[in-house]
Amino acid sequence: MSESPAAPERPLSPFVELIGGRLEEWREGYVRMALTLEPHHTNPNGVMHGGVVTTLMDEALGGVIASVRGLETMFAAPHATVEMNASFLAGARPGDRIVVEARVLRLGRRVAFGEAEARRDGDGELLAKGRMTFVIMDLGAA
Amino acid sequence: MTDERRRSPFSAFIGTEMEELREGYARLSLTLEPRHTNPNGVMHGGVITTMMDSALGAALGALRGEAARRDPHATVEMNASFLSGARPGDRIVVEGRVIRLGKTIAFGEAEATRNGDTLIAKGRLTFAVRNRGG
Repeated sequence: MSESPAAPERPLSPFVELIGGRLEEWREGYVRMALTLEPHHTNPNGVMHGGVVTTLMDEALGGVIASVRGLETMFAAPHATVEMNASFLAGARPGDRIVVEARVLRLGRRVAFGEAEARRDGDGELLAKGRMTFVIMDLGAA
Repeated sequence: MTDERRRSPFSAFIGTEMEELREGYARLSLTLEPRHTNPNGVMHGGVITTMMDSALGAALGALRGEAARRDPHATVEMNASFLSGARPGDRIVVEGRVIRLGKTIAFGEAEATRNGDTLIAKGRLTFAVRNRGG
């Protein structure tokens, strides 16, 4: 049991694996990701780079949309981020554990809307909030 | 001299190169590899948001000079539109420009292109800036 990941069904993005993000929970309509900040996740001021949290929010919401659409549907007609608005409310430092949760606001036939929150584990401080829009591509149409 | 100082560990970690840095302007590049993708095999949006944040942060740092070292600026808002995708092998260039630097806030915009011609993403960023007197 120890070898198998907790949420084996959906592959993590290679980019998220590269930066060390982990999928902690993945079920229909809900995804939680986590990452423990290390020095290589920082900007020149030694605090978390904004790209870390935008990457995790994008991944978490892409994942939760996949959980609602179903993996087979998703791979047949992938969804892709077209808009992201992120607010960075507080900083974080190496050693902090970042937890990101995402949820779908609306899933239409062509467009999906969702939001994500990043918090610091422990004190629960809200670090970032994101709103994203995804387009559902229609690869098979012809 | 300041190039190394402005280098962001995270940006370097994912493989970006600083091509040009001057007051209010920065240009970063990255050649996409399989490790930069999402499960569909195309570029992860986080690559672009990372590069935009780094480009603007550096451009603003070059503009603020010594003040940026005393009182670092921090991104407070980012809006990004993803216009087109990219695949491994594509070369991504992100340019960041400061639009306005005020006393407490700075605004900037960033553009990402693929292989020198196609605009693939556009971003708007806002930074909190502190300028201590004295």
